[in-house]
Amino acid sequence: MRVVIGEDESLLRRGLQLVLEDGGFEVVAAAQDAVELEKDVDEHLPDLVITDIRMPPGHSDEGLLAALRIRARHPHIAVVVLSQHMQRRYADELLAESNGKVGYLLKQRIADVDTFLADLREVIQGGTALDPDIVALMLARAKLSDGPVRKLTPRQQEVLALMAEGRSNARIAAELFLSEKAVVQHTSRIYDALGLALDGDSHRRVQAVMRYLTHG
Amino acid sequence: MTFTAPPVSSQARSDDRLESMTTVAMRSNLARSLHRSLLVVLCAGLAFAGIVCALLPLGGPSGRVVILFPLVFLAYLCAGLHAWYRRPGNRLGGLILLGGFSVLLGSLINTEIPVLIAVGSVGATLVLAVTVHMLHAFPSGHLSGRLSKYTVALAYVNSLLLQAPVYLLDLEGPLPAMAIADNPGMVAGIAALQKMVGTAVMSATAFVLIRRLVRADAAHRRVLMPLFAYGAFAVVLVPFGAIVLGPVLNFSGEARAAIQLVALGGIPVAFSQGILRGGFAKTAELEELGSWLGGWGGTRSSLRLALARTVGDPTLELSFWVPKLGIFIDDDGNPVAVLPAGNNRGVVEIDLDGLLVGAITFDSTAVEDIERVRSAGQVVAIAVDRERLTADLRESHTALQRSRERLVDAADRERKRIARDLHDGLQMQLVLLALEAQQMANASKTVSDTAERATGLRRGIDAAAADLRQLVHAVMPAALIERGLVAAAEDLVDRMPVPTELEINIGDFGCPPAVESTAYFVLAESLTNAVKHAHAGAVRVELHRSDGWLVIQVQDDGIGGADPQQGTGLRGASDRVDVLGGHFCLRSEPGTGTQISVKLPCA
Repeated sequence: MRVVIGEDESLLRRGLQLVLEDGGFEVVAAAQDAVELEKDVDEHLPDLVITDIRMPPGHSDEGLLAALRIRARHPHIAVVVLSQHMQRRYADELLAESNGKVGYLLKQRIADVDTFLADLREVIQGGTALDPDIVALMLARAKLSDGPVRKLTPRQQEVLALMAEGRSNARIAAELFLSEKAVVQHTSRIYDALGLALDGDSHRRVQAVMRYLTHG
Repeated sequence: MTFTAPPVSSQARSDDRLESMTTVAMRSNLARSLHRSLLVVLCAGLAFAGIVCALLPLGGPSGRVVILFPLVFLAYLCAGLHAWYRRPGNRLGGLILLGGFSVLLGSLINTEIPVLIAVGSVGATLVLAVTVHMLHAFPSGHLSGRLSKYTVALAYVNSLLLQAPVYLLDLEGPLPAMAIADNPGMVAGIAALQKMVGTAVMSATAFVLIRRLVRADAAHRRVLMPLFAYGAFAVVLVPFGAIVLGPVLNFSGEARAAIQLVALGGIPVAFSQGILRGGFAKTAELEELGSWLGGWGGTRSSLRLALARTVGDPTLELSFWVPKLGIFIDDDGNPVAVLPAGNNRGVVEIDLDGLLVGAITFDSTAVEDIERVRSAGQVVAIAVDRERLTADLRESHTALQRSRERLVDAADRERKRIARDLHDGLQMQLVLLALEAQQMANASKTVSDTAERATGLRRGIDAAAADLRQLVHAVMPAALIERGLVAAAEDLVDRMPVPTELEINIGDFGCPPAVESTAYFVLAESLTNAVKHAHAGAVRVELHRSDGWLVIQVQDDGIGGADPQQGTGLRGASDRVDVLGGHFCLRSEPGTGTQISVKLPCA
């Protein structure tokens, strides 16, 4: 698995590179700003791009905009965007422009190495990885309205959150110490309650759930 | 009455406005008596013209030429009265009238009554001296400089005294009865002397006028140049024209006289137009200025305009003395340099009780009398002092405002710096520390107990990082830095623990950073108040723009009773709004919830 990194802080760039190499990824380039990142991606055509949102020169959302452009130019390259802060708007923009192969995670998630690497692999294989923080935010919002989300059992809400984070049934089962069969049962009940069409594709599942959480 | 626009049209408009305002409000007795006097002069002039018409041999062989005398007189009469009416303080109108009467006087030589012929002979060339006088006195009506005074005096001597031999020493002159001797040789000699003196007068006049043209600015030069040229041409044409028009161009005596008379008739028209076109507006009397001041509502520019009108100089500038800074400032509070007199600008300082309060700068070529400017300045001295104090107050208010703005700016910059430092420093270090802990846990050599504790350590660091994220968000939210107010407002509302409706209609164009961050902190404080203090069950937020304002409205259904004087959150928000020149309005009665409505300037 070939990876290009975009991160302006050298310590973190180095740390991320070590984590990835220990996890069996090959880091082919590590860019220090958004312009360099796009150039490296065009040159190396990696399987995965991991980039910080806030990068030089403007220290604003350059990394995100670069990621969106990379997605448009190379739809087959998986893109994971890292940030110190979660915003629903950024999640919307990333999900809207993609058919999976996209991730939006807090930087702090790098530390939980196994989960982080598993999320990366999921994204490379066409899945989606949304940070639990943003999903929790969306769920909290959804629960404020009188919609069916409030009527879900706590367990079902847990499953819904993991679905929104982009976890496969197998990973949800492992996380919640359930059998995969039990997870399937939970998901179909959630689909019924929210009035969503059943869909095996994990990215379409994330999009449907997010759309539901955003627009009710 | 037509008003010819002075060079600066906006000034003309304001002068016009001021004029109409003042003519209604404060026409003084003085102005009324002036108008009456001018009317009397007009009637008398018309009567004289009628009498002269009756006396002149209009039916005679040269009737077509002789009729020009009263017509030229009428031109002088109208032009002179017009100039006098428009500028009561300017003697030029009177001079033009004098010229008119001297033309009428000269015409009497053509009558058949001996006494009148005698009178006409005495004043035959007086109009030339008057014209020279006008040239020197334009535009103020005053003779300035010794050279001008001597030249004009010489011109009068030349046309009154040196003319005498023509009727006193020549039996073949206009009235032989007046002749006391017959001495043609002496007449010819004195006539030659008269021509020489005339030449000297015109040379001196040319010198004075050319010097003035050189010193004048472009706007005045445009008016002065044709006027001086025409006046000089007319004065030379009348006495010397006979030589050129007769033998050289072969005109008949009748045609020569007609051309000379028409040239004379053009003089008053040229001068009165010169006064009006030269930007010399109608002046008002000092007492009018005083009565106007009594009803003065008080803007500084109208004070300047009233002074300009009184002095008759639209370019007049009024400046106010700021003793604290030792500088003069203008209407808008900007420092101005009040240069010493010179370069055609005169300066008069305005004192009140011996203390300098302001200064008047004026066009010294247009203003006949510096004392008049000084008197006008003293009339308005108290008003100027009041304006000066107001300006002073305004200036210190502005300084205070600027310093408050700087404080808000500095606070915002500091917040941004802290947020950025935490982002680049502590937040990143926590990622690395957690990573280190987790890698320690995952290392194959680590015993299971240590691995568990290392994982726990990683979780603890993650929790600390989550707290730090909240802190950074509160200091200066990433959304505001990265995407502006709309994204930041959405982000705030996303995190509300109660149902919150958000309606945004502020378009793509953003507001200045200080306005956006203030709007954000207002919103954040209002939402905090709704949740923490008002115990609201639902909140509605609206952001929109109207007429250069950014409007933020937050309404909740809580218990009300919010008081911006209590606590620091809303108080700080309302202070920030105040600093930016916005409006903060809070209504929070128990039972009706809290409505916060804030307007911030965002053009």
